[in-house]
Amino acid sequence: MDALILELKKEIIEVLNLEEITPEDIDENAPLFGEGLGLDSIDALELIVLMEKNYGIKLNNASEGRDIFKSVRIMAEYIEKHRTK
Amino acid sequence: MELNVISYSKITNNKVIYKGNEVSIQRTESSWFHDIYRSLKLSYPKFFKMDHLSKAGFLASELLLQEEITDRETPKKDIAILLMNRSASLDDDRMYQKTIQDKENYFPSPAVFVYTLPNIVTGEIAIRNKIMGETSFFVSETFSPKQLYQLSVTAFTDPDIKRVICGWTDYELNNCDVFLLLLSNENKEGIPFTINNINNLYK
Repeated sequence: MDALILELKKEIIEVLNLEEITPEDIDENAPLFGEGLGLDSIDALELIVLMEKNYGIKLNNASEGRDIFKSVRIMAEYIEKHRTK
Repeated sequence: MELNVISYSKITNNKVIYKGNEVSIQRTESSWFHDIYRSLKLSYPKFFKMDHLSKAGFLASELLLQEEITDRETPKKDIAILLMNRSASLDDDRMYQKTIQDKENYFPSPAVFVYTLPNIVTGEIAIRNKIMGETSFFVSETFSPKQLYQLSVTAFTDPDIKRVICGWTDYELNNCDVFLLLLSNENKEGIPFTINNINNLYK
């Protein structure tokens, strides 16, 4: 799980262009939205694309993301259960 | 109507100019725009999410307004933004096209898509500085001081407008040509805003 969390942090930094943030800066238990990283709705859509592109997970509606993107750890747990690639 | 240029800035592929003087940029292995951002000691993480056109316009506006807007929190209804370019958002359009080109690898990028309009750069500058006046963007085949002059004068016909950020913000295929002017109808100091002076300052 730790390896997946680190991989996910690196991918999030890359796809969301979080230029001045390192994986160590991201607390895997902290909320991704609303505080901390200051992500917005476009970032949420990018995370949905990331889930499909990198892990073969297609979210049927954007509202599912609300629960899955609560933190990097919750995202990683979801990916581990549902990934197809 | 007496209008004066109270500030101007320019960014090309290898030069940054503010009020006629070249600004020293510390080059690193990072991109040109990121080097400018760091040399100017800016702190605005959203910059890194912008497309090239918005990054270029944003950086030129940071230079342009550095002495004019120190309070970024108060809404400013007396400033308008009027920009022009030749390439519209083609640079970003191409990037977006790449994300939808391959049917087997079809992942349209929302973050790229939001920049597939050239006037987004006016919005980025307005958001950064809480500018609430009218913003407009025109696409023209060539840089025309005459058009820029006429459109800017028109912007001042709104009685609420005291200052106008105007200029040329073009970026395509790694070619950056950005030139911004800050005009005022109140400040008597500065360079008279004329077609000739636009031409001279742009050179």
